[in-house]
Amino acid sequence: MRRVPWGVLVVMAALFVPALGSRFYTFVANDVAIMGLFAVSLNVLIGYTGLVSFGHAAYFGIGAYTTGILMKKLTLPFVLAFPAAGVVAALFALVFGFFCVRLTKIYFAMLTLAFAQIVWAICFKWNGVTGGEQGLPEIPYPDLAWMQKLPFFGELRGSDHFYLLSVVLVAVCYWALHRVVASPFGRMLTTIRENPERAEFIGVNVQRYELIAFVIAGMFAGLAGGLFGIFNRGAFPDFAYWTKSSEVLIMTLLGGMGSFWGPAVGALVLLVLNQQITSYTEYWPFVLGTVLIVILFAFPGGIVGALESARARLGTRHA
Amino acid sequence: MQRRIALVVLLAAALLVPLGASAQKPIKVGFPIILSGPGALFGEPAAKGAQMFVDEINAKGGVLGRKMELVVRDTKGQPDEAVRVAREMILKDNVDFLVGTLTSAEGPAVSVVAKENKIVFIAPIPKTDQLTAPDKLHPYVFRVASTTTIEGRSAAEIIAKWPVKRVATIAPDYAYGQDVTKSFVEHLKKIAPQMEIVDQQWPKLGENDYTPFINAQMAKKPEAVFSSLWGGHFLNFTKQARPLGYFDAIKHNMVAGGEGASPESTKAMGADYPVGIWGNSYDAFYWDDAATTHKEWIQKLAKYTKDEYPSSWPIQGYMGMQFLAEAIKKANSTESDKVARAMLGLSVDTPIGKITIREKDHQANRGQLYGKTVKDPKYPFAIMKPVTYVDPTKFMD
Amino acid sequence: MPDPSFLFAQSLSGLTAAMFLFLIASGLSLIFGVLRVLNFAHGSFYMLGAYLAYQVVQWVGTGTGRFWWAVIGAALGIAILGGLVERLLLRHLYAKEELYQLLFTYALVLVLGDVAKRLWGTGQLSISRPPGLTGALEIFGTRLPHYNLFILILGPAIALGFWAVLHRTRAGRYIRAAAQDREMLGALGVNVTSLYTGVFVIGSFLAGLGGALVTPVKTVVPGMDVEIIVEAFIVVVIGGLGSFWGTFLGSIVYGQVLSFGILIFPRFSIFSVFALMAVVLIVRPWGLLGKPLR
Repeated sequence: MRRVPWGVLVVMAALFVPALGSRFYTFVANDVAIMGLFAVSLNVLIGYTGLVSFGHAAYFGIGAYTTGILMKKLTLPFVLAFPAAGVVAALFALVFGFFCVRLTKIYFAMLTLAFAQIVWAICFKWNGVTGGEQGLPEIPYPDLAWMQKLPFFGELRGSDHFYLLSVVLVAVCYWALHRVVASPFGRMLTTIRENPERAEFIGVNVQRYELIAFVIAGMFAGLAGGLFGIFNRGAFPDFAYWTKSSEVLIMTLLGGMGSFWGPAVGALVLLVLNQQITSYTEYWPFVLGTVLIVILFAFPGGIVGALESARARLGTRHA
Repeated sequence: MQRRIALVVLLAAALLVPLGASAQKPIKVGFPIILSGPGALFGEPAAKGAQMFVDEINAKGGVLGRKMELVVRDTKGQPDEAVRVAREMILKDNVDFLVGTLTSAEGPAVSVVAKENKIVFIAPIPKTDQLTAPDKLHPYVFRVASTTTIEGRSAAEIIAKWPVKRVATIAPDYAYGQDVTKSFVEHLKKIAPQMEIVDQQWPKLGENDYTPFINAQMAKKPEAVFSSLWGGHFLNFTKQARPLGYFDAIKHNMVAGGEGASPESTKAMGADYPVGIWGNSYDAFYWDDAATTHKEWIQKLAKYTKDEYPSSWPIQGYMGMQFLAEAIKKANSTESDKVARAMLGLSVDTPIGKITIREKDHQANRGQLYGKTVKDPKYPFAIMKPVTYVDPTKFMD
Repeated sequence: MPDPSFLFAQSLSGLTAAMFLFLIASGLSLIFGVLRVLNFAHGSFYMLGAYLAYQVVQWVGTGTGRFWWAVIGAALGIAILGGLVERLLLRHLYAKEELYQLLFTYALVLVLGDVAKRLWGTGQLSISRPPGLTGALEIFGTRLPHYNLFILILGPAIALGFWAVLHRTRAGRYIRAAAQDREMLGALGVNVTSLYTGVFVIGSFLAGLGGALVTPVKTVVPGMDVEIIVEAFIVVVIGGLGSFWGTFLGSIVYGQVLSFGILIFPRFSIFSVFALMAVVLIVRPWGLLGKPLR
């Protein structure tokens, strides 16, 4: 079986979407790329470390507001505001995570939820800084005038320019995260997920590893949020609300927690499905719920898991 | 194997292609509104009112020879969802105009989307002043709803006439509640300086348990109250306040803003309604003094919604669409810039009378009905009697 | 120094809210304690209980005693629903990771929420207090509605009843044993599968009961499933998962924080319960009366 560089292929394909000329396709592709990053960042916690977080959206929201406030109110350039989203989100993840990793399982999950709701409440009430429940509208696009000067890209719209930029940034983030989970550190996380007590016995400081994983996950969620705030032309308190956390949790499960790309696939499928179904019916929750139940019972590995076991079965037949 | 992959890719692409192209292109109007959760009580009737107008006008041949088509989507009451569906409707469904949104958070959020995409946006329900404030105003946003300034001041005028000194307010703690209470307090201070605000309660939006707030307010012994809890929030509040003796303590001296005396509120509460309070409503099917056009319209509405006591919200959806259709006709075009210009100063004969959108801030002179609730043997629920339309012109700066 | 009768009134309203919440949280706590499933759909059962009660009232009217028929009917209906869900669906997920069970119950919330919307629409539905409990009594300068008094008595009564069953009956012993060590209990010849179903049915009954009993005090509206489950989770976690009296204590603490929170921090009721949960979990990681999870 040849090792196909799927990652590179997907990125190349993604870069061609604006050439299709439809604003709508670019819109969907941008949404998928960013939410995919968000879901993959959560999987560092769930799939790799075995920590189920109900409050991951907090860092997403923090990232969105950080970039938004820096670019809109302090008119800082994107080059500073984007990494700032990651840094600020990582700081919050460090503080919240410190308390969370001392707990296990459900208590851990509930504390992550509590912190996320507190972040939401602050965004909702702090009218002066975050704009309150109206949100922070009209976050400016980064200055992409230099793109106009490039050969092919000059004819594209501003939203297309931003799309290309976000694809590149998201790709870099995926690469970085992949390096992390494939490294010895990443393997240690998997060991911790399998059996935390055994890890302790062999001398691993489980809590320290979990905290680092928490911070990494939070940082990349923050970066995703920073991009999303610009894409969405505004940041809203609901970016941190627990329903957003549940959305990304579902994406992760749907795509498959057992693989690196699974959650990104889940994001793609969920967003496209949501889009299509809501055009026909207002009973989208019913459809989503049913799909989830089917997945849980029939395809516990998610979509990627199902594809991989199908491929394995095909492979043995051809052997 | 490759063929299978190709098939899957084709399928995926096919799913993304919007369905259906019609012969003579209809004028598509995106209608983002709340269709789920507590706000659906108002959102759904508003959408019905808009659809009723579209059906009527299409039966008469449409606008400029083209049929109108309404694309209704659920915003779930969240501004970020409202933004998402608005953008989808623009990008995917290629809507030419936007009419809709309900809450004071959704309205301004969608207004930004409209501004960026240069799409005319008419807001039929959000009341926050911020929608048309100088720093947020742009050529494409218009409002046919009332405003928090109009509502707060109208309520103050009513309470100013009462023989009371100690006044309190209770409002949901978000933009709408904050703005309308501010307008109320400022105006009351001006026209009734002898009255004193002795207590202000701020339950969070969507509060479940109002009893701590009710107790706290009763402890300050107010003689009159201005409430801006709306819809289901007001229902919950009243269900909990009545047994505690709240309304007896203030002798039913309350003005329930936020459409607290609307037919759906009194209907939903039935015998639990604190009859005797004042309240407002956008419309009332039992409005006896209304012009004949109103009575006829109500009959049409009752038939269309198959409800002998029709809701008070369809009129806002209907009016929003009326203004849009008239503006398109006046501009003789569906181009956003031309229609936006045609909206300025436009007057339309709506079922409640002539309403005009003023040039200064794209705001219509939309007042509301106010009245004291009484039990009427004709209906199984309380109604406002007498019910007066409070003209807002003198309240609009 | 605020008026003592006012403080008493606030305290009472906090207790009433606590008892309402305890009705639902107790079922959640029981199901978690024995089945180790954090049942998101518990809130949906509560909401469906309320809708069912409303529906029964529409059918049988509001004469004397009719309200109680509606309440019992609704609770039984939800108990049956719970039993079906457990037997047909949930049971097959016990062997899987907890996350799957949790996501299943969340999926159930989505499905049941839309079912309710389809059947009863999006309007606000309201039931009046039952005849016989419409009055109020004056106590320490404040008015306490009879219905609230009824709930104030019912809450602890159920708590005591539970405690009695759990500690004084054979079935109760089995339930407690199942919470400790399911395999051992199975090895001893007890039909653990039926026990699990039974526990789920009882928990669902309590949820439906809570929903039906809350209808005179709150309007029945879509979205009440999600609101209540977050509150119930908080209460159960604060009290300590698996601890029955923990849930009772958690409810009481929650109620008082809500009541007095608005006096001390007036515009922060949006924060208070999450801040409470965060503080409790930071200071006592297993909740107030909880024990470390295995």
